[in-house]
Amino acid sequence: MKSCMNWKILLAVLGTVALIALTVACGGSSTEPPDEGETAQESPTEAASGTEEAPTPSVADVRSKTPENTLVRLYVDPPTLDPHLTTDAVSAQIIIEVFGGLVTIDRDLNIVPDLAERWDISPDRRVYTFHLDPDAVFHDGRRVTAHDVQWSLERATNPLTESPVVDQYLGDIVGVEEKLNGDAQTISGVRVIDDRTIEITIDAPKAYFLAKMTYPTGFVLDRENVEADPRRWFREPNGTGPFKLSRYDVGELMVLTRNDDYHLGAPRLDAVEMILSGGSSMLMYQGDEIHISGISLADLDRLLDPSDPLNSDLRRAQPTFSVQYIGMNVNEPPLDDPKVRQALNLAIDKQEIATIVLGDLVVPAQGILPPGFPGFNNNLMSYDFDPDEAKRLLEESKYGDDLANIPPITMTTAGSFGANVSLDMEVVLQMWERNLGITAEFQQTEYATFLKDLHKRRFQMFEIGWIADYPDPQNFLDILFHSESSNNHTHYSNSEVDALLEQARTETNEAERIRIYQQVEQLIIDDAPWIPLWYSGEQYVLIKPNVKDYLLPPLYIPRLRYVYLSDE
Amino acid sequence: MGAYVARRLAWLPVILLMVSFITFVLGRYGPGDPVEALAGQYYDPAVVERIREQRGLNDNIFVQYGRYLGNVFQGDFGDSFKYQGRSVNELLLKKMWVSAQLNIAALVISVALGVSIGLFAALKQGTPWDTGSVAATLVGQSVPIFLTAPGLLLIFALWLDILPTHGWGGFFDTRIILPAVAMGVPGIAIVARLTRSSTLDVLGQDYVRTARAKGLGEGTVRRRHILRNAMIPVVTTIGFSLAGIAFTSFIVEIFFGIPGVGSLLIESFFARDYPVINAVTLIGTTMFVLAMLIVDLIYPVLDPRIRLGGGSIAE
Repeated sequence: MKSCMNWKILLAVLGTVALIALTVACGGSSTEPPDEGETAQESPTEAASGTEEAPTPSVADVRSKTPENTLVRLYVDPPTLDPHLTTDAVSAQIIIEVFGGLVTIDRDLNIVPDLAERWDISPDRRVYTFHLDPDAVFHDGRRVTAHDVQWSLERATNPLTESPVVDQYLGDIVGVEEKLNGDAQTISGVRVIDDRTIEITIDAPKAYFLAKMTYPTGFVLDRENVEADPRRWFREPNGTGPFKLSRYDVGELMVLTRNDDYHLGAPRLDAVEMILSGGSSMLMYQGDEIHISGISLADLDRLLDPSDPLNSDLRRAQPTFSVQYIGMNVNEPPLDDPKVRQALNLAIDKQEIATIVLGDLVVPAQGILPPGFPGFNNNLMSYDFDPDEAKRLLEESKYGDDLANIPPITMTTAGSFGANVSLDMEVVLQMWERNLGITAEFQQTEYATFLKDLHKRRFQMFEIGWIADYPDPQNFLDILFHSESSNNHTHYSNSEVDALLEQARTETNEAERIRIYQQVEQLIIDDAPWIPLWYSGEQYVLIKPNVKDYLLPPLYIPRLRYVYLSDE
Repeated sequence: MGAYVARRLAWLPVILLMVSFITFVLGRYGPGDPVEALAGQYYDPAVVERIREQRGLNDNIFVQYGRYLGNVFQGDFGDSFKYQGRSVNELLLKKMWVSAQLNIAALVISVALGVSIGLFAALKQGTPWDTGSVAATLVGQSVPIFLTAPGLLLIFALWLDILPTHGWGGFFDTRIILPAVAMGVPGIAIVARLTRSSTLDVLGQDYVRTARAKGLGEGTVRRRHILRNAMIPVVTTIGFSLAGIAFTSFIVEIFFGIPGVGSLLIESFFARDYPVINAVTLIGTTMFVLAMLIVDLIYPVLDPRIRLGGGSIAE
């Protein structure tokens, strides 16, 4: 037990690095959004110092220690700054500030013009004609043309570029698949009409195409910039975004400075400094060296006390669009009987775990799509805690009421440092034992190993999360549950669900499309290949009072240009 | 002497070859895969296969190893898998130098204070000074670094506000003080206890009695006869510290925001960033061999009875 405890303490210290490893490896679908909370150096200092009063920071102090009109925060090294190679949220958050694509997402999460000032969609909804914004320029002042867009899409889909996610984001464009397979030299579905107009044809009237184009894989690059040094060009990128990358020393500092010519309105800040060398976030915040700090669970109680000097700096971030769940391999006994899976669902009191174990920082999940996400269904019929019904279903299952007949169950999770079973999973296992008499084994593997086994579908039962990459139900339901999807880790296969998912892909009536997805979600929940656990709750962040309009949206959107510093 | 050093160094390439091959093979056949780690949770087998093919990860392991070795001979450890567009040399060397400086500063603290306290305790053997100083260093060693580091930050950076909370400015910058102290304190106890016990050992030796008997001043006896001989085990310990000098300051680097090599290493392991891992193993092995050699070379300076090169130790 002792060594276990030590690991837990060490874990707290190493929290950041573990998180970084996780998020970076997660490829944009991490369970731990690398936002403010992520860069928080989880330090036991506050616990050690008890409720000791810290010096109250004042606005004047912050200014004295940070450069004029510059936002300073902790961040971590992005694995890449090449938009076409991005797979992770750490990189994407920087890239969307430095580069841009045809479309972007605004602060209300609508898909809005970026480099394209407007677009026409053909009646069959397969041909998109984008008209470029005449004011859109690269950082060096050159105007963005349709040829730049075409060249960028060709580069992203060139197999030599090695983008791991290009099929996911650009695969709907006619001709991309042929090009990736080496059967074509160019994308047949992309056509330059004139300098300011480009036409893109997709293979079916897919409503989520524009949403996918907001991801960096579809961003526009400067050919000259890239070809000058194809392997290293992004160290001095010539982007089109609201900020220029003016300095980047790996592991030390990254500085973004304002692009005065930004076509959607120049940022209000002069610069954003990201400290990459780590540090003790809370202490640096209290020492007025940074403007923003994440908060660890250990510090939260103290900060929620209104008498704490930092209490007034607390801000609540919107929950991220994500869901944490237990996946069950529907081919593996005893999980091959839906009644067993339903019983396991019913035997967990999620509300109790959320409140007592997780401090209400998460929301018990009923379904797959998170609240606020397109298609979220308030009337979904799901599994409320009901131990009697659970017991009854288990007895009705083909394994009968004799527990000795039930094959062993092993749940696997991804671990990082040491063997540390997350507390909520410990309670889940206990609830199964108490309410059903089923003793499940717990096993943990290191993250890269976990991913490999997950992809090979070697797990009987696993716990993991999924976070939205773009605001469309397809991003959850089609990718995770279509029987032919490579990301269907549970072997779930329901021909009715497959047919509906395929229908929804090309349904042009938005209301009807949402209705289909809600029907699909209900069917999946009924079949119970998952035990949905948590939606992300509201996250707390510390932000200095003089930092205004720092948005905390549920998706990664370009947001730094809205921020300004003011004492008022 | 020269022949001895040459012989020892001749072994270095052999050791490196073995170590690099083992690391290389373990990396390739161990669980996890760099391309899948890069692609993350979204998985498309065709894409992973395409990238594996392009990076030569599907070639015969000996072909891969040969290719790697060829580049290493030219001083090129390759590009990081994870940090695209960054060479391993560029990533590692700068950060290792930072970590090395920090470790040297910590080592100076450990050795300077450790030797002084150990010597002091030995000469005051049995008095409260002895037990008191040994106890104090033990406390310093027992308090874990993840408590001393934030404790120091709290006191000196936040309450007294005389030192900054994070950052790096090199060896002669005030920002090195707190991390070096946090790292150096546990070492004080190790060095102090070693010094104390070996000094006590030496104090009872005939040659010390002889030195005193022939009328040498106490200062000379201590300097030339006691301290010098008592230092042999201490030097061995320092040797081991030197071997890991660039790689052992991970936790402190995180706490104090020092751009050292620690976090890079951890991330590389998780991302299966083979080029970085292999380079670190090779550099670490080289440093270990060299540190051990240096320790061996110092022994005869401290104790003329020790002969290098397989000769027996003459009484």
